[in-house]
Amino acid sequence: MGWAGESVGILFFMSSMVLKGFFNFTVNYYGKVSAFKEGGYRMGNHSWKIGVGLASMLLGMLLVFQFRTETNVKTYLPQFKTVSELGIKWNRMQTDLDKKETELKSLRQQIQGYNRDEEVKSLQMAAGVTPLRGPGVEITLTDVERPLKSYEDPNLFIVHYDQLELLVNELWAAGAEAVAINGVRLVAQTGFSCAGTTILVGTKKLAPPYIIRAIGDPGTLKAALMIPGGFIESQILPFELGIWIKVQDSLYLPPYKGSSVYNYAEVVPEELEETTDSEMEGEAGADALVSAESWGSVEEGEEP
Amino acid sequence: MLLIPVIGVSLGVAVGLLLPWEIPISYKSYTALAILATIDAIFGGMRAELEGDFIFSKFIVSFFANAIMAVALAYFGNALGIDIYLGAVVAFSIRLFNNLSLIREFLIIRYRNR
Repeated sequence: MGWAGESVGILFFMSSMVLKGFFNFTVNYYGKVSAFKEGGYRMGNHSWKIGVGLASMLLGMLLVFQFRTETNVKTYLPQFKTVSELGIKWNRMQTDLDKKETELKSLRQQIQGYNRDEEVKSLQMAAGVTPLRGPGVEITLTDVERPLKSYEDPNLFIVHYDQLELLVNELWAAGAEAVAINGVRLVAQTGFSCAGTTILVGTKKLAPPYIIRAIGDPGTLKAALMIPGGFIESQILPFELGIWIKVQDSLYLPPYKGSSVYNYAEVVPEELEETTDSEMEGEAGADALVSAESWGSVEEGEEP
Repeated sequence: MLLIPVIGVSLGVAVGLLLPWEIPISYKSYTALAILATIDAIFGGMRAELEGDFIFSKFIVSFFANAIMAVALAYFGNALGIDIYLGAVVAFSIRLFNNLSLIREFLIIRYRNR
């Protein structure tokens, strides 16, 4: 309480001095101003002490407040001491922006040049999920037709799956664009295997006669099969199988009807693509060694 | 003579430290100007006292007029995008050094005459 009383006293003192100075001034204002300089009126007037003192106090307080604010600002705001620092940052961001803008422009151009329907169409054709029509050859392949003699092994005179596979392989190699056997369209994952007297193509069991339709340049396809020492000479004639090759102007190939389920494979995004050449060599070599060593046991185990 | 402002400033600092206030950041530049105006007023008052024509009301009025003018300049400069307040800063600084030199001379003369 003593503190408050004292301050009230000081305030009172100060105000009285202020009033005194003020009246001093008014009196002097209407009287002779020069009286100041002669010192007659000024004696005992301490008003300047009040004024300067008050101003000084104000200055001190303002200094403290300003200092406080300044310290807070420096603590909480990020520090950019100079304009040049900001300028450097600005420049960096500007170059970044320019880079991104050119990237954006090139991407826009790519999008403009990109025709979605066309790409889908070509991918569908490659995947074999659309029916196709075009010129090509139609090959009919049958087992031997004459009655076999008693000493002849009938096993040798039927169409085997590997013969069919070789035929298809020959067609692909000759530039066939699409191939179907007995209405079963061949796609990337189609495999051939032996199933008793029939042949398993993909998941379908096929029986002779096998009608293979291939779209491509008919002349090339036919020539590829009839080349001396080629497929017909090595695979058909020795076993007296029946083969007819018909060149067709317009062949219809049905679409692939099976499902394509991927349980193990995952798509790798473009940016994560790896160059696998060296890896392939190393790993394939190791695998080959392992399989060569354990080949016998594996075969025993898996095929009883 | 020089004791008054020193005592005043230290008193003010003490009071300011006791008070919890601080200047809002957006008024920072205005306070800086106010500080300059106050320093100018202190030196001006001292000089006037030494010259013998210190008048309290004139002191107060000129102090507030200067401060208000400076702050107004700063405000309009801010609004117009021109740093007009620099003009106030320069003017105050020049006056400050003028007053300082006058005070110095008066004090020297007084010391010699003693």
